[in-house]
Amino acid sequence: MIDQMEPVPKDTEYDLYFGPAHPGSGNFGVKLKIDGEIVTSARADPGYLHRGFEKLMEYRTPLQNAVLSDRLCVLEPLNWNLIHAEAVDNLMGIDVPERAKYIRVIMAELSRIQSHIIWYGVFSKGTGFDTGFKMAFGYRDYILDLFEMITGGRVYPAGYICPGGVRRDFPNGARDKILKVLDKMDEMIKLEELENPALDARAKGVGILKVEDAIRLGATGPVLRGSGMKTDVRKDEPYEIYDKLDFEVPVRKESDVYARYMIGIEEMKQSIKIVKQALEELPEGEVIASNLERPKVKVEIPEGEVYVRNEVARGEAAVYMVSDGGSKPYRCKIRGPDFLHMIPVLEYLLKGAQIADVPAIYWSLNICPADMDR
Amino acid sequence: MKLGILPKLLQNLFSKPMTVRFPHESIPIPDGYRGEHAYDIDKCISCGLCAKICPNRAIEMVEASNEYKEKYPKTYPKIDLGKCCFCGLCEDICSKDAIKLTKNFFLSTFDDSNMVRYPISKLEEQRNS
Repeated sequence: MIDQMEPVPKDTEYDLYFGPAHPGSGNFGVKLKIDGEIVTSARADPGYLHRGFEKLMEYRTPLQNAVLSDRLCVLEPLNWNLIHAEAVDNLMGIDVPERAKYIRVIMAELSRIQSHIIWYGVFSKGTGFDTGFKMAFGYRDYILDLFEMITGGRVYPAGYICPGGVRRDFPNGARDKILKVLDKMDEMIKLEELENPALDARAKGVGILKVEDAIRLGATGPVLRGSGMKTDVRKDEPYEIYDKLDFEVPVRKESDVYARYMIGIEEMKQSIKIVKQALEELPEGEVIASNLERPKVKVEIPEGEVYVRNEVARGEAAVYMVSDGGSKPYRCKIRGPDFLHMIPVLEYLLKGAQIADVPAIYWSLNICPADMDR
Repeated sequence: MKLGILPKLLQNLFSKPMTVRFPHESIPIPDGYRGEHAYDIDKCISCGLCAKICPNRAIEMVEASNEYKEKYPKTYPKIDLGKCCFCGLCEDICSKDAIKLTKNFFLSTFDDSNMVRYPISKLEEQRNS
């Protein structure tokens, strides 16, 4: 009788759609094939947040594009403003005033701190520590208040860092307020550094990305530094005033989720150091090049091409801009750091992981779908 | 077991919340906030630069209605707040300070016709008639 029985079909395999409308995934989806508790294969599913920036930029003048470049990443608009402005400055050969360079760096670093706080928040939320999420968004608001005072908008600065310099000078009392907010950020870092046994259990030894694999898959920024390679565009190819500033590049050898999480915290400390130094040395003077002081409807961009790379909170970002001599760029290619983090690196790390580790791995890569889909 | 978070927990039990009770109290809005536009038709010289610089093409130059055509014969900006991204370029480019961004950010509405600001507003028309 026994050999007549049919073998039981294997029903432990199924598909799991992680996102794009999942509270823990952002506007991005991953299709997971699962066997029991183990992910057998992962396939990233980009495109949910595509807005067509590269095409839109071909129809707008540089000043209008500066406003548009905010929207490249919701979490760090000022860093993207800076890259776009640098590309146009290079093409047009504009001498940016010294004070404007300092203000640009201060704003970009504040934006980086803010972005890392969100990273901490969403990572905490992904690993089930909801208090961390609430804490992060509470403390982020101090920086948003600062942005509101300086740029006029809380989240979107509307091209505050524009070709030629910055659109407005610091208002009165900005320096004291920035220092006050930095004290609050110190407080936040202390909270982040508190021992959390639940986090240690979720993060240590999970999602190991060896340095060879990280380089092969194209990881940059905090992900690569978390794998043990010392690299930072601010040090390797300094732009603006980064060569005059004293800061360190945090590196960790463990290569796991916990290492990347700690890199975020250490980078925040370095950013605070940079802002304090820049504020101390902030020179007086103009904040925008004299020929661009008033916005102009028609600005001629000389013929040529330029590739500018910067270190944003998520890794190495770049803008490749080609001009044919008109008032609008002929082509503007944007390299978002998350394209490689969210497709090859994520697929590689998720393969063979437990379902419960998926959010931890996913958020440890400091993911933002906005600059990947563009 | 390490419980470094416990002192913070106790502290939070007796501290004030980070948020404010919004309709009753609100955080102050700083000067230079980019909110709704204030437009002064008497300062405007109808140069149309605001319409040309607008990244979202939210500003359109339109003629005044028939009864005002004698007083205001040129074209004036009509602002569609639904398209506007509040970048403030129109304010920066205006050489006569006819357009200015104010601190008003209470712009949500159920009626989409409220989103369009005409150069001569309906209120003004009623007042003058």
